Amino acid sequence: MSKGMLIDTTRCIGCRACQTACKSWNNLPGVKTTFSDTWSNPRYLSSADFTRIIFREDLHADGTVGWHFIKRQCMHCNDPACVSACPVAALQKLANGPVVYDDSRCIGCRYCMMACPFQIPKFQWDSAVPFIRKCTFCADRQAVGLEPACATTCPTSALLFGDRQELIAAAWRRIHQNPGRYHPEVYGEKIAGGTAKLYLTAQSFEALGLNHQGFRTDLGETPQGVYGREWMGKVPFVALAVGGLTLGLYAINRRRAELAAAEAAAKHEGKEV
Amino acid sequence: MAEKVEKWYPGEPRGKISYGRMILYSLTTLGILSGLIRLFFGLGSPITNLSDAYPWGLWISFDVLAGVALAGGGFTMAATIYVFNLKKFEPLLRPAKISAFLGYLMFIFGLFFDLGLPWRIWHPLIYWNTHSVLFEVAWCVMLYTTVLGIDVLIMALERFQIEGPVRFLRSIYVIFIVAGIILSTLHQSSLGALYLLLPEKMSELWATNAIGILFFASAVIGGLSVVTIESLVSARVYGRQPEMHILPDLAKGLAVALLVYFAMKVTDLYARRVAFFALDWQHLLFYIEIFGTVALPALLLTFREIRESPMGLLWCAGLAAFGVALNRFNVSLTSYGGYREFSYFPSLIEIFLTVGLVAGGILLFDFLTKNLPVYHEELIGHGEPSS
Ligand code: SF4
Ligand code: SF4
Ligand code: SF4
Repeated sequence: MSKGMLIDTTRCIGCRACQTACKSWNNLPGVKTTFSDTWSNPRYLSSADFTRIIFREDLHADGTVGWHFIKRQCMHCNDPACVSACPVAALQKLANGPVVYDDSRCIGCRYCMMACPFQIPKFQWDSAVPFIRKCTFCADRQAVGLEPACATTCPTSALLFGDRQELIAAAWRRIHQNPGRYHPEVYGEKIAGGTAKLYLTAQSFEALGLNHQGFRTDLGETPQGVYGREWMGKVPFVALAVGGLTLGLYAINRRRAELAAAEAAAKHEGKEV
Repeated sequence: MAEKVEKWYPGEPRGKISYGRMILYSLTTLGILSGLIRLFFGLGSPITNLSDAYPWGLWISFDVLAGVALAGGGFTMAATIYVFNLKKFEPLLRPAKISAFLGYLMFIFGLFFDLGLPWRIWHPLIYWNTHSVLFEVAWCVMLYTTVLGIDVLIMALERFQIEGPVRFLRSIYVIFIVAGIILSTLHQSSLGALYLLLPEKMSELWATNAIGILFFASAVIGGLSVVTIESLVSARVYGRQPEMHILPDLAKGLAVALLVYFAMKVTDLYARRVAFFALDWQHLLFYIEIFGTVALPALLLTFREIRESPMGLLWCAGLAAFGVALNRFNVSLTSYGGYREFSYFPSLIEIFLTVGLVAGGILLFDFLTKNLPVYHEELIGHGEPSS
């Protein structure tokens, strides 16, 4: 049974306890951050920050300011582009949901970073022996029956861990029971083939201005990895076709040359006689 | 060791190092130093300007993508001669193989320094992901470089007149021809197919499902134009006669390839209903690419006078080759992630390493052509195992 996490951003209060819990569970180094024009801190995900809360201000019609707090981390796609991309199968999708990474296989080609539609895998740029790092969906905790650290720590139950299908049903129930509270879409249910992380937001990601900041809305429902796999499916046939053609033409050319040589020889003899 | 055969290059003064050579040596040294620095200090800033926003930079665009496309001369010439039976082009085969071999070496070295964990470059041999386009590219490049290596080995064996192995390799040579053409077809197109997975991060001018076949077609252009350039330039440098009895005909092939490619590009744009007229920098680059480096050389090559003048040929082939490289940059860099707040320009180390690789490649080319039976006039009595 595949697990998921329902992230109800309307419940989030922006306390960033999840960021801290993630850091301590995964033993991630502290990073010096700087003040910026947004409350979000850190400003970007990195090999040392698997998750972060994006702060978005929202000016209401009556002049008051509202807030949106959007948690970002690996989406743990059902059919992940990163897994399709990796040439050495260092990334794997586990049956119970997490997409995990194997340090011992990775060659550091960074194709997963290029391929991920949510721009999640990050690289340890400052190391001479760098690896890829990203949220693991706390696969190690799940393996021993614990919830992900971020979900455990969340004080408002904005992060709900559970069976993915049940969470989708729960999300739609919330949408229907609270008219006006939610944008009527569960982000992650279908996008890019569906993801383990499911989002409920007050507004669409376009309205939040996040559709180009990791929450693309133009991905469609086809997982990107399919394009690579379709290509790879054709490879053996292309190889056979090209090989057959090459060999055939080569043989014909050779035979022609032999015949021509024999003919020439015959003519030559003919003259001699 | 057999005696050094010093017979066919009157142009080169012996025992003296020319300026050009000195520059090449310095650039190569600079490249080696840059490579060492990168190995010891990693890829982070300030060594390279790569980042989480731009995981792939100059090395992938130039050393890998452009390098391989421009090294397409090996398989293009092999197919021309053995498959399409145009035997008159045989004099161009061996130089094409040498430059292809060096192009692939450059690819491998470039990739070596680009990988985060370069000492694991062999991992695709034992860890398989048959769904990954990059996995296929890795295998094809490995095997094809081996095929090219065998070609160079045959030349070396001939040079030292070791007949036995040469005769054996010749007897199974058809395997290498066929393998070389299959492998090249696959990885030349698959390098484009790498970008099938990230259409949303690219400008729609280049993000197309047809990118694989477009890469293949432009690799043929890259191959034909580099073979032409190489013949003309090496003739001048070594004081040989350029192969002007066949180059104009090869140029006809190049013109056809350019026209076909142009038609493919236009069809693709039309089929995807891409907005073709706009004045942003991506469109400008695109116009330069398809009008300046595809349509223009194709048009010029239709003139007999241009085809038959070494200068005209050099210009047309140069434009076409530049266009292939520009296309690879456009696909992999300028088109990538244009909507985000990040930018990328290669660091000095990145540039030095790339320049060093090219300089080293030229020196090696010089060394190999001087010491191996490469040019036709040297092949009397040897010759390819032509049908
Ligand atoms: S979000 Fe990206 S890194 Fe995470 S599973 Fe999906 S494709 Fe992989
Ligand atoms: S960087 Fe590592 S995990 Fe990512 S695709 Fe390359 S080998 Fe796989
Ligand atoms: S699931 Fe685990 S690794 Fe992922 S963000 Fe939460 S705490 Fe971090």
